[in-house]
Amino acid sequence: MIEYVLMIITVLGAIIALMQRDLLKAAILTGIPGVSIAFLFQYLLAPDVALTQAIVGSAIVPVFIAITVLKTRKTEEEIK
Amino acid sequence: MVVDSQLMSFFTAGSLIVIGIFAALFLDNLIKKIIGLAFLGDGVNLFIITMGYKPGGIVYIFLPDMTISNFAQTSAYPLPFALVLTNIVIGASTLAVILGLVLILNKRHGSLSASKILRDKGE
Repeated sequence: MIEYVLMIITVLGAIIALMQRDLLKAAILTGIPGVSIAFLFQYLLAPDVALTQAIVGSAIVPVFIAITVLKTRKTEEEIK
Repeated sequence: MVVDSQLMSFFTAGSLIVIGIFAALFLDNLIKKIIGLAFLGDGVNLFIITMGYKPGGIVYIFLPDMTISNFAQTSAYPLPFALVLTNIVIGASTLAVILGLVLILNKRHGSLSASKILRDKGE
């Protein structure tokens, strides 16, 4: 039963992350599908892939995107 | 359960791929295009993992009290898992390279909008 909840969270989290108008919110909400996919890998009998995906999907990818958003936001404000 | 969980996992992977392609094609912001590409990679990883899943099986770790024939019949197929482990790390590093290219584009054109950057050719 838990796997259906995780699949719904994955798809809805991806759609919600792409619907945000603020880019920093979109970058942080990218972590929700990453974490739920990590739990789904644990359910699908792949625990080593789940460990790697939990770190990469929840920490590394949102932090990279957030750093890029912060750097570009500063230049956009200077130009305006 | 009426619906097979493996089939629903395939549908989840397919919808992630569709969401990623839609975002990379039709959204205007470069950051959102890159988020869509990250979702596309996640969808492909989930698709390959689901192909190796065996319903009612066990994790592919051989414990001392198992017999070899029983382990071979009930364990999941471990080859796609070992390759997806590499694919996740390569996906993260290529994402970092793409974000560096976006920083260069933003420094040169002063914008994150794809249509505005394409229109700005005369500089």
